[in-house]
Amino acid sequence: MRCTILPPHILEHLAETADDRALREMARRTLTMSSAHRAERRAVAFAPVAPTEDFVPERAVHDARHRERLPGDLVRAEGQAPTGDAAVDRAYDWLGVTFGFFAEIYRRDSIDGAGMTMVSTVHYGRGYANAFWNGRQMVYGDGDGRLFLSFTGPLEVTGHELVHGVTQHTADLEYHGQSGALNESISDVFGSLVKQWHLRQTADEADWIIGAGLLGPDVNGVGLRSMKEPGTAYDDPRLGKDPQPGHMDDYVETHHDNGGVHINSGIPNRAFYLAAVALGGHAWEKAGRIWYDTLTGDAMKPTIEFDAFAAATVETAERLYGAGGTESRAVRDAWREVGVES
Amino acid sequence: MRVRVIRSGGFAGVERRGERDAASDPVLRDLLDRVDLDGAPPAEEAPDRFSYEIDIDGRVATVGEAQLTGPLRDLVRHVLDEPD
Repeated sequence: MRCTILPPHILEHLAETADDRALREMARRTLTMSSAHRAERRAVAFAPVAPTEDFVPERAVHDARHRERLPGDLVRAEGQAPTGDAAVDRAYDWLGVTFGFFAEIYRRDSIDGAGMTMVSTVHYGRGYANAFWNGRQMVYGDGDGRLFLSFTGPLEVTGHELVHGVTQHTADLEYHGQSGALNESISDVFGSLVKQWHLRQTADEADWIIGAGLLGPDVNGVGLRSMKEPGTAYDDPRLGKDPQPGHMDDYVETHHDNGGVHINSGIPNRAFYLAAVALGGHAWEKAGRIWYDTLTGDAMKPTIEFDAFAAATVETAERLYGAGGTESRAVRDAWREVGVES
Repeated sequence: MRVRVIRSGGFAGVERRGERDAASDPVLRDLLDRVDLDGAPPAEEAPDRFSYEIDIDGRVATVGEAQLTGPLRDLVRHVLDEPD
């Protein structure tokens, strides 16, 4: 059965009343998709979920109406019909996809693991070229329309911001220096995995770009960061050149950007990419599982640095897949290739 | 007086810089009269928010986006040439 061909009112009815739990869940999941998703021709229907699936998204999208007050006016609550405002509806849809990813793949119920309402505010400020997580919610600007388009556009931006919330509720990594770069990297890793899952891409097929489609048409760049080849995402006279290193030899010492958290995240980003490609298949299944269990595991502490995090991922891989296995070897080799000893 | 602002961080991590000289900028002179750089609150480390390093004739303060209010915000926007 393809839920995507059913009109929303039938899906809503099914989501509420169907006797079969799996059918209810499938209807609910499809309702979290958008016209944007339906237009994504490469996307396929979601696999039927396990009958124990009982997590339900709770979304609330607000409109700042170009002011900077949060959360702004509530314009679309859970289950409500599309508003016709592309930023509102896309934010709503991408929250649904991100929720679905964590629920289905890692059995996580929302940001805090306990069904927390996912709150987003769109149209924040005027020409605001940014998105952020403020400790309670996600916030998106429309971009300046020249260098940056709307931050509600790319799915991985929503994934990235929501995962800042997941990190806050788990490892709570301090947002400066190496722990801050790990915080950033974890948001990029799972932001990219949400998109790969949505498009059903293998590690080889994925673009590993963060912020694809975010740059204006005249900007020379494919996005903001490349997990595959850090430092190559853009090179433009107005934006400058992508400053990310992909190896510890090029680690950037700076007091800007909280000690370069958006710069040095290129190093753990590339380690994840290398591990994922070495393991093959869908990156969320093994590499993603290893990173997720590490993030939510006991080895983490807020000030952890690259080498201790790397060692923790190797230990997780050994625990999940056995010591001396191909998985733990792939993870260790990946860190070694970016100059981090685990 | 020379004022230099470096904006770093944000989701994009793209740095922006601006510099102006009060000698040839009456708007900046007026803003400088109202700014208290030493009274700026310490920078808060918040995911993907901008961080502003403000240098007024060698006196330097780093201010987080959420703490950037009042005349200091007007000064930063003026030096970076951002719309109000």
